[in-house]
Amino acid sequence: MQISIGADEVAYLCGRTGTFAVAKTLGEFFYLETQADEIVLFTEPEDLIAASSFGIGEKVRRGLRCTIYQLRELEAPLIVLPKGHPASRRLKTVISIGPRTRLSCKIQPGTHPEQDILCGPEEFHGIEVLAMPGGAEITGFDEDSGEIMIEKL
Amino acid sequence: MCTVGGGPDIGEVEQLVAKDYECLDCKNKFKAMGRRPRCPSCKSRNVKPS
Repeated sequence: MQISIGADEVAYLCGRTGTFAVAKTLGEFFYLETQADEIVLFTEPEDLIAASSFGIGEKVRRGLRCTIYQLRELEAPLIVLPKGHPASRRLKTVISIGPRTRLSCKIQPGTHPEQDILCGPEEFHGIEVLAMPGGAEITGFDEDSGEIMIEKL
Repeated sequence: MCTVGGGPDIGEVEQLVAKDYECLDCKNKFKAMGRRPRCPSCKSRNVKPS
């Protein structure tokens, strides 16, 4: 399935227990702040920034939209917590940036070395989102497991 | 790239492969990964691995 995502839009995959949001990176760069270094992540204009949350409804969609907006438009840094930091369990949203993202329900958030895997709810397991000109291609999405919504970012 | 928003946990950070770059216009030095590098300070694409 192919979906169109404009420069000022965000697409949601709304499931039974989780929500997945995706927007274009527009070639912007992103700051990753580790304890030792600041790493700048560069992207291509058609790359995707994806955010996943275990929750549904307008409140969750708004949170995902705000997260993507802060990262892309305000150059908000991604602050990296050390392993085992007590704040890790408070985190509600996972982010993936690049040309491809795979969703899995079988990984622990923030512990996966495969950098194109994002944790998500069970109904989204196996979904793959690929960047394409003007939008994204979504494979493995069962339309019975949720709906797709597009809103202004 | 996969990480967590809102006070993120990026996971296995030590496995990220970042290169050192220097901007030839403003002399800014930075670590980066990904394609089409440019200086995060002055936005110049006149950068080189250092």
